[in-house]
Amino acid sequence: MSRRPDGDRLARMLGPGEPELTCDECFEALERYVELELAGTDADSAVPGLRAHLQGCAACREDHDSLVAYLNTDPA
Amino acid sequence: MQTRYDTASAAWVERLRAEGPEQAVAIRELRELLLRAARFEVTRRQAAAPHLHGVSLEDVAEQAADDALVAIMSKLDHFRGESRFTTWAYKFALLEAGVKVRRLAWRGREISLEPERWPQIADPHAGPEQAAETARIIEAMRDAINHQLTPHQREILVAITVNDIPIDVLAERLNTTRGALYKTLHDARRKLRAHLSELGLSVGTAEEATS
Repeated sequence: MSRRPDGDRLARMLGPGEPELTCDECFEALERYVELELAGTDADSAVPGLRAHLQGCAACREDHDSLVAYLNTDPA
Repeated sequence: MQTRYDTASAAWVERLRAEGPEQAVAIRELRELLLRAARFEVTRRQAAAPHLHGVSLEDVAEQAADDALVAIMSKLDHFRGESRFTTWAYKFALLEAGVKVRRLAWRGREISLEPERWPQIADPHAGPEQAAETARIIEAMRDAINHQLTPHQREILVAITVNDIPIDVLAERLNTTRGALYKTLHDARRKLRAHLSELGLSVGTAEEATS
């Protein structure tokens, strides 16, 4: 996806602009959210504010992406 | 919320809460799972972290597994059965490994809390109206950052969103936590948005903030 560099930067500076969880709340709910996502169910309705937080917090987004990636390897 | 463990998760919790040899075996098995997850994470991040040369990734993974195990055993009562136990456990190993790799990648590098560069109007495809709107937003944001934010909010916002310092690295240097820094960042962002809104500038929502 092609995006304007300055627009990306502005978006990072301004954040999601909607209600979002804190980092601690995000970590607390992450495994439930990810399992719902991978099951194809509506994770965003089940855990409101988590998606917005992932959009605003790069570190929590990486943690989320890592859990998704690892579960996709079908670990024991 | 009602707790409903699946059978395998219930077995994990029961064995980890047991005493003696049963618990010891369960802990050993859990640590092996955590180590595998931590290895996955450090390997995955290795390519994107050129500053890791000379660091034993196996040592990082082992340390992450140890730290995750300690966290899990101290938080066992927090597991509510809303996912498989292993999914809950993996997140601790992946977090520990990810944070360690991020911090190692920045080891010895200076961090700046002053803006190293401001967003530039660099899009050759932007029309004149769009470019003018972006220029107005950037100017308004610079003004808000300099005059609406507290010095602490300004430093945190600039470090994370302008200078691209990972929040975990910044937290370590400032002796605080990711959560505390994000709260500051969130408050700063809210002030910026309010200022832009007062000026009648369109600032978008989450849809545009995914980069």
